[in-house]
Amino acid sequence: MSKTSSLTDRKRNERTAAYIFTVPAMFLLFAFLVVPILYTVYYSLFQYQIVRPDNITFIGLKNYLKLFTDENFWLALRNTVYFTVLVVPFQCVLALALAMLVSSRFRGVAIFRTMYFSPQLTSMVVISILWTVLYNSNPNTGLINSFLTSLGLEPINFLTNSKTAMNSIIFMSGWQGAGYQMMIFLAGLQGIPRDQYEAASVDGANKVQQFLYITLPGLKGTIKYVVMITMIQAMKLFTQPYVMTQGGPKNSTRTLVYYIYTQGFQQGNFGYACAVAAVFFVIVVIMSLSMKKLIAETN
Amino acid sequence: MTKSMKTQHFLTKFLFYAGNIIIGIIFVSPLIWMISASLKPEAAIFANMNSITTFIPVQASLDNFKEVFSRLDMLQVFKNTFVYIALILVLDLLLNSICGYALAKFDFKGKGMMLNFIVALMVMPMEAIMLPLYIEMSQLGWVNTLAALVIPFVAKCFSIYMFRQFFCDIPDELLEAAALDGAGPVRTFFTVVMPISKTVYATVFILDFVAHWNDFMWPFLVMTGESKRTIQLAIQVFFGTQPIHYSAIMAALVVSAVPMLIMFIFMQKYYIEGIASSGIKG
Amino acid sequence: MNMKKVLSALLVSAMAMSLTACGGSGGSDSAADASSSAASADGTTTITIWSPTDKEAVEAWWTEKLAEWNEAHPEIQVSREAIDRSDSYAYENKITTAVTSSDLPDIFYVDGPTISYYAANGIIVPMDDYFPQDELSDFVDSTVAQCTYDGKLYAISATESSVALYYNKDYLTECGVDVADIESRTLDNPLTWSELEEIAKKCTTDNYVGTHIIMDHGEGLPYALEPMFISNGKDFVSADGSEAEGYINSKECVETAEYLANLIANGYANIDPIQDEFLNGACATMLGGSWDVSILEASADFDWGVTYYPVSDTTKAAVSPCGDWSAAISKDCKNVDAAGQFLQWLINSENVATYAAAIAKPATRNSSYENAAMAEYADGPRALFVEQLQNTAVPRPRTPSYSVLSTKYAEAMTNIFSEAASSHTVDAAYIQSELDAVAAAFKEDYDMYYAN
Repeated sequence: MSKTSSLTDRKRNERTAAYIFTVPAMFLLFAFLVVPILYTVYYSLFQYQIVRPDNITFIGLKNYLKLFTDENFWLALRNTVYFTVLVVPFQCVLALALAMLVSSRFRGVAIFRTMYFSPQLTSMVVISILWTVLYNSNPNTGLINSFLTSLGLEPINFLTNSKTAMNSIIFMSGWQGAGYQMMIFLAGLQGIPRDQYEAASVDGANKVQQFLYITLPGLKGTIKYVVMITMIQAMKLFTQPYVMTQGGPKNSTRTLVYYIYTQGFQQGNFGYACAVAAVFFVIVVIMSLSMKKLIAETN
Repeated sequence: MTKSMKTQHFLTKFLFYAGNIIIGIIFVSPLIWMISASLKPEAAIFANMNSITTFIPVQASLDNFKEVFSRLDMLQVFKNTFVYIALILVLDLLLNSICGYALAKFDFKGKGMMLNFIVALMVMPMEAIMLPLYIEMSQLGWVNTLAALVIPFVAKCFSIYMFRQFFCDIPDELLEAAALDGAGPVRTFFTVVMPISKTVYATVFILDFVAHWNDFMWPFLVMTGESKRTIQLAIQVFFGTQPIHYSAIMAALVVSAVPMLIMFIFMQKYYIEGIASSGIKG
Repeated sequence: MNMKKVLSALLVSAMAMSLTACGGSGGSDSAADASSSAASADGTTTITIWSPTDKEAVEAWWTEKLAEWNEAHPEIQVSREAIDRSDSYAYENKITTAVTSSDLPDIFYVDGPTISYYAANGIIVPMDDYFPQDELSDFVDSTVAQCTYDGKLYAISATESSVALYYNKDYLTECGVDVADIESRTLDNPLTWSELEEIAKKCTTDNYVGTHIIMDHGEGLPYALEPMFISNGKDFVSADGSEAEGYINSKECVETAEYLANLIANGYANIDPIQDEFLNGACATMLGGSWDVSILEASADFDWGVTYYPVSDTTKAAVSPCGDWSAAISKDCKNVDAAGQFLQWLINSENVATYAAAIAKPATRNSSYENAAMAEYADGPRALFVEQLQNTAVPRPRTPSYSVLSTKYAEAMTNIFSEAASSHTVDAAYIQSELDAVAAAFKEDYDMYYAN
């Protein structure tokens, strides 16, 4: 057998294998992710009170028209974007700072890495309950406020003031998630050759210059990846407002996913909730695909 | 070493430990608080929030844990949880890794589209499709069976993506060498690729294990009956019984975190490498 | 540790467990499949009940009672599934989800105010035949009212709940409050709002707050506070449950919200009180539930008392909260007669007494208080709650749009309190705008699904 024919054989084998390998996962994704999404789009065309599945009325695009004039929808969208825009840089910078802090080879560094990573091992529900207690506005009962007053500062109504509630959630979310991104950065840092720093040091570059001209460029790919996964998580924000603030005060923590949930279940407007969900799907699909394109350009 | 270098070295070391200890405490303190609360009597949990003693159980006792174990059949709960998570994970690791491998290393029609599809769906939140998915389960007659807990969650876009990222970095020469030895693509995958990919398997394993371990709403909606409770459902017993005893809740939360902690300690090495490798190439 | 070994060990154990799980769960699966009643060939009916998981004593009561019934009635076999009710709306979500696919059990427990929502949407069916008028006359009026929608009885409850004002006697005495005066109050002259405010003011210091208002951001807000609004002259919605405009956003209701917001703005009450604030001796008084009695009896290390739910200064009308979980028969029940017969027995006077004793809540049936199990309700704080239930309890609004009303109202009050806490002042115009929003949301929901 000539070499070329064995190559085409291989290509054919590969193609068969590719289908065997991808079809099971693709089938399941289609059946249990795409089908529910299609259902969602379908129901978004109906007036559907959630406990009256026997009495649904086709209303065309009316739910979508309502959505454009629904200020709560726009507020939820705005809150989601606000959360994402702030939490992504905060969490990524925090993660990078932690990674640099634990990238040295001092003894015991593994313990610190584990400490920073530990919030990842507890469920978001538990973390949210704990932080609700920590954030308590009364300095007699809230640990953080008791600390602030002992420094002579005014106590802050973290979760009960519409101006601070979302920022408090952002801080907590960054704290919870940074350990994961720290690990990725850690690997990225270790991928930067030592001798680059040594050479720079000989040339008289200080630490800040080294960071700006060696570390940051060396981490370019890693940063893009980390930003992408953090953004994806951020767009889905639900558990924290659900447990800590119920979307309030004054709707300041009502995100899109939370809005979908309350519209569908509590208010019973299932058809409308589906319309909001469908719009949400479109937004995140566009976002993910452009992120992917951005990342592909680096490689 | 000169004297000034020695001082500098000492200073760096000092700053390293001081900084890490302070920041480290901020990171673990909520968890310490949870453990400490689980050892306290109910009235003491919120009594001294403004002092350091809130982190130290003065009269520590295991009463809260006794209550948890007397109230719940923990063996049954753990068994239920492990069975469903193990089933998901076995299928998850197998199906998503072969899919990720095909997307990384094979050339075939529709590959680009498939990849776009997976990236696009990566961000779908469960909360938004929960109800349609339930309706589907009901139509299939799967409500209140293991199938509803397991089958919809086997395929995961994020897992496929992680596997693909990892497999992309495997040198083609290695695969060609296997092919020259006469191994077909399927055999190459199981005998050459899988054994050198422990880290990514460990990563996906832990990520998905943690996610399902913490899952509450879906098991709650599809499963009915005490004998079928998973861990998060079991914990709700303490949230739902008036008056709410935070002491018992904290103990239950600690109990529920133990298996995860053990899992993490055992797989830590692979896990950390796995996460790390996913991001290097981007 | 060898990764391969770990993984393969896990795989093997997973397989083994799943096999035993499949083998073992076969029986329970078929039982659970019969989520709604099925009559088998031999004429036996099986009835399934969903009710919230509760403390051990209550779980034991169910086990005992069902065994008793099943033994006596081989033709109607009843089983119960304890549904874990978390703090939030999880239980309601489970019912809602089951409705979409007709997966409801034969009988399920619903919280008082949701009865009208389910009744108006045909999720539950009337049961007047099993509880005729002369039978119902034994129940306190509030529970009958709450369970009735559109003139028909849709649910039946064994227990009630109530809210009254707890006070820390030791601390009040220390602050110079006349405790003897509070103790002497009767249902004819409860404390007024201004008297409560006066006490709260006297007792508020750096380490104490004067009073405690429930702040769960959810159902607790309408439950515990609606009677204040009624006492001031206007309920949340019209008597027929169709109109909120001119009720929830009326001058009277704005006044009531102002009064409550004032307590927060002045620092007399915490915007986010911790669990057990009163028990920990951090607040002087608290609007607390009938269920708090047993907790305080068990763990309070100070002398405390309970007095009646406070009344508006202008009307002096005594009103008090009520409502509890009630049993309803679902639309998916195939044998309503069997379910009705069972409930007739389950909610009989003696069972109500033992159930109420187990769950530590006041009973709905007047005759149950004669039972030895209810002896502790004869006097003391428990008797006060019963007195309120029998005389001043008003159920939450009976309207099909209740879930919208409740969530929107809770949202509005949370916003009002939050504004009061951060600005330390009360802005009547802002309160008006928040309550207007509740009325508008109610109207939108009612008009869309229930008008005509």
